[in-house]
Amino acid sequence: MICPGCSCLCDDIEIMNGVVRNACRRGAEIFLKYKENRSKPIVNGKEVDVDKAIDKAVEILKSSKNPVVYGFDTTPVEVQKLAIDLAEKLNAYIDDTSSFCLGDLVELVLKKEVPTTTLDDVRNYAYVIVYWGANPYHSLSRHMSKYTYYPRGEKRQKGYEEDRFLVVVDVRKSETAMLAKTNARYIVVDNDLELIDSFFKVMEGKAAKYANEVSAVIRELRKSDFNVIFGGLGLKYGLRDLKPFVELVKKLNEISPTYFIPAGFHANMRGFNETLFEKTGFVNKYSFRDNTSKDSYAFVELLKNDTIDSALIVGTDPVKSLPFEIVSKLKKIKTIVVDPRNSLTAKIADVVIPSAISGIEQSGTMVRSDGVRVKLDVIEERDVNDYYVMKRILEGL
Amino acid sequence: MAITPMDIYKYLPKTNCKKCGENTCMSFAFKLLSREKKLEDCTPLFEEKKYEEYRKKLEELLKPLEEATETGLVVKEELCVGCGNCVVVCPVHVAEDPQGAGIGKGPTIEDPILRVENGVVKIVNMGKCRRYGKERILCVACRDNCPSEAISFLEG
Amino acid sequence: MMRFTRFLKVEVEVVVGRHVLAENDAIVFVHPNIAKIAGIKDGDVVELERNGRVVKLKAKISENAPEKGCLIPNGLFASYLADLNEFKRFKANIEVSEGEVTKIEDILKELSKT
Repeated sequence: MICPGCSCLCDDIEIMNGVVRNACRRGAEIFLKYKENRSKPIVNGKEVDVDKAIDKAVEILKSSKNPVVYGFDTTPVEVQKLAIDLAEKLNAYIDDTSSFCLGDLVELVLKKEVPTTTLDDVRNYAYVIVYWGANPYHSLSRHMSKYTYYPRGEKRQKGYEEDRFLVVVDVRKSETAMLAKTNARYIVVDNDLELIDSFFKVMEGKAAKYANEVSAVIRELRKSDFNVIFGGLGLKYGLRDLKPFVELVKKLNEISPTYFIPAGFHANMRGFNETLFEKTGFVNKYSFRDNTSKDSYAFVELLKNDTIDSALIVGTDPVKSLPFEIVSKLKKIKTIVVDPRNSLTAKIADVVIPSAISGIEQSGTMVRSDGVRVKLDVIEERDVNDYYVMKRILEGL
Repeated sequence: MAITPMDIYKYLPKTNCKKCGENTCMSFAFKLLSREKKLEDCTPLFEEKKYEEYRKKLEELLKPLEEATETGLVVKEELCVGCGNCVVVCPVHVAEDPQGAGIGKGPTIEDPILRVENGVVKIVNMGKCRRYGKERILCVACRDNCPSEAISFLEG
Repeated sequence: MMRFTRFLKVEVEVVVGRHVLAENDAIVFVHPNIAKIAGIKDGDVVELERNGRVVKLKAKISENAPEKGCLIPNGLFASYLADLNEFKRFKANIEVSEGEVTKIEDILKELSKT
């Protein structure tokens, strides 16, 4: 079965006699503990009937002047489509966590500004494997053993010691960096631009801060015809402006085919980006009133600038993941949380609507970090799930 | 933390009496570590009063080996996140499960050496591991590719 | 109560990252170099301060932390100290402290409507 834990969406999970096989710690915990810490329907601090909670949500959204529909990275594509329909009906803002996560990197891929490939092709063909500002050990635990450095592949039969070259770029020696031993390089950076600049300088035959490391990587790139760079949050926040990175990927492709795959954590963040992109040409922070996307339409900006008066927050926990000064603003607006669990945001929301856990209690399509689509399994179907909630809200408007 | 044959040899009679079936006490020390021999095989240790202190020391020294798996591989579960590197790099898995663990999937063979269960790696069938048995190779693939150093071998 | 003067308040680089095991815990991973300078032992409660906001976390010495500082797992405590401009990497002050670590409820209280 498929594990809904992260964007790896591993497809080889088995449950035998109550034991979860092959899933990493994060994934196994989802299967083992899905009945724990569940949310209850709440309106203004009191537990109510779930349909009453949904009615209250409809009431709030109907009377809201500037609502935002936010989250959805843990919900299937089919639910994301309903979310977009809802935002359109409300003339609202719609955004997901990718606006402060890896939306930019996914956008590069969807707009074809960088060449991309699939994780299966990486396993079969890739020689140089770069993790730039990402620590898959904690964010995508099985990434390296299932798809990149460690497994054998069609053209990579001799395994990691001879047939792969690992490069880890980070500001500190992460667990992933610890693995850069034989046939590998760990490049510690303080400023990612300096590393990109070093690549250009070395390729022009000039001296550079990282000349040593870069020369080694280029030497290895030349040996193969298939290489891949995985970019994480470290790359995004290290650069802010991704243009130099796009230029670098272009330049590296002159040496040897080098592909890019965003290393995002959330199981279906790419699904949201692709679904919104299909409809609007933008991957996130969109306004159906203005029919465009702007940086100021990101959920964090909408809160910061007091632009919104209500928020429908689905399958995400901003109180946990966003800066304190931003989430303090939630006090000033009406908040509706739709979540299977009693998240931190649910604990302070005006309305809480319990829903189902994707991949355990509700099915649907999710998109892996490399764009491959998978269909989730169901262990125990739940009637009050994201589909039910979203449809009821749409009907109520 | 690792126990070496020298650590064991220190407390053996060092008479090379061959009562255990080995030619030398050093050879017996190696076989103790690899579980091919038991401490009781060295009868002088148990029969002669002068070796009582040595016997006690050896029993204490060898206790962790008993408490660990059959063959001395220890997993610190609190450090393991189930990344699966150990399962995939294992040369035995690569040889015996080329379409399963060898290509990054969970093991498809009935009795792999290691498998991730409930999120942490568990030892399933140590008998296949190359470190143990008559023709032992000092393979360190699983330990060396564990990003959090959760895997260690008691005998170094 | 007498404070040992060998405990220093040190400015450190803080990196925020995902952590499978510790995202709900009040924990900070401190590099051995910094632990030495600031007199921090494994298991100590330490105070991290940034722009007037303070959290108390349990220190764990780790080589995975940045050499000039520490790593806080993604979660409520990291979010409490961060801001939009310096979201996953910022400077803060660290000092050995005493007492209990910050509770989730205490931060949630500040976010609830009265």
